Amino acid sequence: MFGVELSVVSRDGAASGDDATAFSTGWSYARKRQMFLAALAAPALLYVLAVAVGPMVQGFLYSFDNYNLIRPASRHFVGLDNYLALWRDPTARRAVINTFAFTFGAVTLEFVLGLGVALLLWRDDWFNRVALGLLLIPATVTPLVVGLIFKALLNPEYGMLGYPLAELGLSGPRGLLAEPERALATLVAIDAWEWTPLMALILLAGLKTLPTDVLEAAAVDGATAPQRFWLVILPLSLPAAFLALILRMMDAFRVFDIIFVTTSGGPADATNTLMIYGVKQGLEFFNIGAASAVSTLIVVCILVMAAAFIAVLKPGRNRHV
Amino acid sequence: MKPFIGQATALALGVLAWVGGSGAGAAEKPYEGMTLNLASQNDQFAAVLAGIAPEFEALTGAKVNVDILSYPELLTKITADYVGHTKGYDLATVDIVWSGQFAEAGYTVDLTDWIKRDAAEIKVDDIYPSLMASLGGYKGKQVAFPFAGYANVLAYRKDLYESAGLKAPATMEDFVADALKLTDKGKRVYGFVANGQKGPAVAQDWMQYNRQFGGSILDKDGKPALNSPANIASVIAYKKLFDEAAPPGAADYDWGGREESFRQGLVANMQTWSIGAADYDNPKVSKIAGKAGIVLTPSAQGQPQEYGIGGWALGVNKDIDPKKQEAAWAFIKWVTSPAVHKELNLHGAGSYLRKSEMTDPELLAKYPFLPVIATSFEHGDGDFRPRIPQYPELQDLIGGAINAVLVGQADPKTAMDDIQVKAEALFK
Amino acid sequence: MFDRDRLLLIVRRLAICVVLVVALAPVVWLFSIAYKPTSDIFASPPTLLFSPTFDNFQSVFRYFHLGALLESSLIIAIGSTALSLLIGVPAGYALARAESPRAIWLAYFFLIIRTVPPIATLIPFYLLMRDIGLLGTWWAVIILNSALNSAFVVWMMFSFFRAAPASIEEAALTDGCTDFGAFIRVALPTVVPGLIASAIFCIMFSWNDFLYAMFLTKADTKTISVALLSAYGTKDISWGTLGALAHFSTLPIVAMMILLNRYFVQGLTQGVH
Repeated sequence: MFGVELSVVSRDGAASGDDATAFSTGWSYARKRQMFLAALAAPALLYVLAVAVGPMVQGFLYSFDNYNLIRPASRHFVGLDNYLALWRDPTARRAVINTFAFTFGAVTLEFVLGLGVALLLWRDDWFNRVALGLLLIPATVTPLVVGLIFKALLNPEYGMLGYPLAELGLSGPRGLLAEPERALATLVAIDAWEWTPLMALILLAGLKTLPTDVLEAAAVDGATAPQRFWLVILPLSLPAAFLALILRMMDAFRVFDIIFVTTSGGPADATNTLMIYGVKQGLEFFNIGAASAVSTLIVVCILVMAAAFIAVLKPGRNRHV
Repeated sequence: MKPFIGQATALALGVLAWVGGSGAGAAEKPYEGMTLNLASQNDQFAAVLAGIAPEFEALTGAKVNVDILSYPELLTKITADYVGHTKGYDLATVDIVWSGQFAEAGYTVDLTDWIKRDAAEIKVDDIYPSLMASLGGYKGKQVAFPFAGYANVLAYRKDLYESAGLKAPATMEDFVADALKLTDKGKRVYGFVANGQKGPAVAQDWMQYNRQFGGSILDKDGKPALNSPANIASVIAYKKLFDEAAPPGAADYDWGGREESFRQGLVANMQTWSIGAADYDNPKVSKIAGKAGIVLTPSAQGQPQEYGIGGWALGVNKDIDPKKQEAAWAFIKWVTSPAVHKELNLHGAGSYLRKSEMTDPELLAKYPFLPVIATSFEHGDGDFRPRIPQYPELQDLIGGAINAVLVGQADPKTAMDDIQVKAEALFK
Repeated sequence: MFDRDRLLLIVRRLAICVVLVVALAPVVWLFSIAYKPTSDIFASPPTLLFSPTFDNFQSVFRYFHLGALLESSLIIAIGSTALSLLIGVPAGYALARAESPRAIWLAYFFLIIRTVPPIATLIPFYLLMRDIGLLGTWWAVIILNSALNSAFVVWMMFSFFRAAPASIEEAALTDGCTDFGAFIRVALPTVVPGLIASAIFCIMFSWNDFLYAMFLTKADTKTISVALLSAYGTKDISWGTLGALAHFSTLPIVAMMILLNRYFVQGLTQGVH
């Protein structure tokens, strides 16, 4: 990409095959510019490759060994065993399912709620500006603390939310977080509490850049509010939605902090996710081989999901990509 | 002339070294300028340790930094430290169940020879043999020196038992019957509470009850016997108690939640580690001040009268250089010496070690339940949670299985059969 | 029609208020329990009224070296943000101005890098830091955080620079401005809100992280997030102490967000379009 291209690119970006100026100023200018841009980008690329990709590749190689740091002498090659174990072990299988379920649930919920909030805040006045500022506060609280807040609030004995929920019979006597059927859904709700404001912000940004003339035209043409929403607003918001969705999808898949402090994967694996499972293997049992396999699986899943995203939403993004 | 001066210098240096090395002299500061990092579990002794560390510095010149960590963090950080040879911590509090793991991996210094050498100074005979053996002892090695002994005790509400016409239970049969009798769900009073949370919490509590019911994690040959009839029976009994006599949130309790439920007056009794006992009479944190009694834990009829013990020991990092190891050992000897250790306990460390402490009038006045703990130490069983190298994985398996049973996701027999297979794989 | 519009406005604002209550109530609760005496925190049924106490704050000051914790968190957050911006912004600019489809793929590459899970990279990185002798220092955390943060910055600035028209730069270049000069004096000023938004994300990520910090720091370089974990994991969950400690870990970020909120919103608005 930064190498010298055979076709000459002149300043306005159009390729011109036989431009007379190419040999005097065109080439050297374009070349110089390419070199300059490459120099600007190189540090970041090298740094990221060395610090993030390097260890990741190393980890990838570890995933083919049965390698435990506590018993380093017993390290030996096992091929795909660590990956197969992820499928054979019901705990790991459950973790995979839970992670996808959580991601799908959280992102969908946050998108829907976020869009609703964005629509509410669309008008630009002082009230909405202040509200938006305040609304971002949940996103600034450390995820660890968010988990702890809700762990306390949902406790059926002394929690401000948990006690009424239990008394009214809306939750079992052990509280929502202790019920295998609803624990994961509860965590999705907690995640939504934390991140919906950010989603709303991004979606609102998208709404604000909608061309008003199109909207007015639609109104003039007699489109009802719901019609305007589904046929005009939603499609034109796709670029912003894309950004918001892909960001949240990547982060929700790697959820760890809130689950770690509320349920630690319980009750009975109901909230076990890939990150929780992987951290336990790697940082509790020091089972590097298994942890690396989980880690690689996470990256692959995210890549696949991101690729699917881009493929599905790309046609609508042609203008901006 | 030269050899003579050389000899004199050597002699002088030798004398200085001997004087400095004897440790007890308050005038010299043998470890001046040295810093020792101690990783401590966040139990009651942690804050007290941090508080008296300056006294050691005044005595020897070595500054002791006490880093207080939570249980999972502690194990992860010190294991990473040993495995990576990063020498981040010179001393660490070692849980009773980690003894086997540490012995096999050789993380900490084997203190056996030093203990023999300094036996008189340490007054070894004053330390309960059960504590010396279990807290840090493993197959002839002593990978850590006992420091904080805990006894399994039964804390119970004298007022509730009296009004129901009951005395503190002496057998497990009585214990279960009383629990059911004392439970009144309408009045939100429960006759039983224990940890139910998946992981170490439920594993450790259940193993305690399992021992009292007559079960055992390992068989006579030291191999896992998780699905023995006795063990399965105790799982069934544990679940029954949870369903019929425990507060609703118990399946999610860890140690903190369990202690809190007792302090709030929700439950009529609680088997627990002795270290929490002092808090029950503290009106600042407890709503039941003055109403709690401490007695020995019951055993099933026909079982030998033994009591569960646990606690923490202090281990010295093997990677650090010899001079630091020496300083660390000096610290251990100092902090477990009769005078200093008593001071620790007077400040609320709740960590008992010596026979002399259990009959000390000052301590008895403050903590009248010491005789219960003393008896528990004398007939202590420190192996009901097997202190073998495979313990962490074993605990994880048990923790998952028992929790699954408690929340109704598995039945006792299949759950135990399941983890028996997995446990056997660990021993291959 | 006047009435209908006003009615709609009132309904809207009411709805927003409800949303605000849901969003802020738990945070308010967190701050309130710091002043609640321990026995009241666990009162069942829960009570709203209590007589405030500062005991929990005293516990925090006794148990933790708050100054050191805040210093560590601050240095790591600022250090990694500065480093990430330093190498990330130029790269984002370069990718935005490079007329090549591969630039876009590279931008996505940077975006995906942020998803590298800590589990397997942590141990090799830990050993590497030990070998270099940086283990336990703030640098170890800064280096690792910056890798992930800078990848994110590259991607964000890529979007922002794309949104900013290149024509002004081109004019400057024609006028004899150097490439670098055009970058610094012409392009950068147009994306200042984007810079601030990126910086805010970086600061939040580093400040709130506890997994990397827990593993790579020592007792005296610990951050406040790690301390929060210690406070939680005790045998006795001390909610009061936690609430008090959370004041110090949350308020700085909340304050930053409130002060820079305008730029953050503006930044994201620019970049998404």
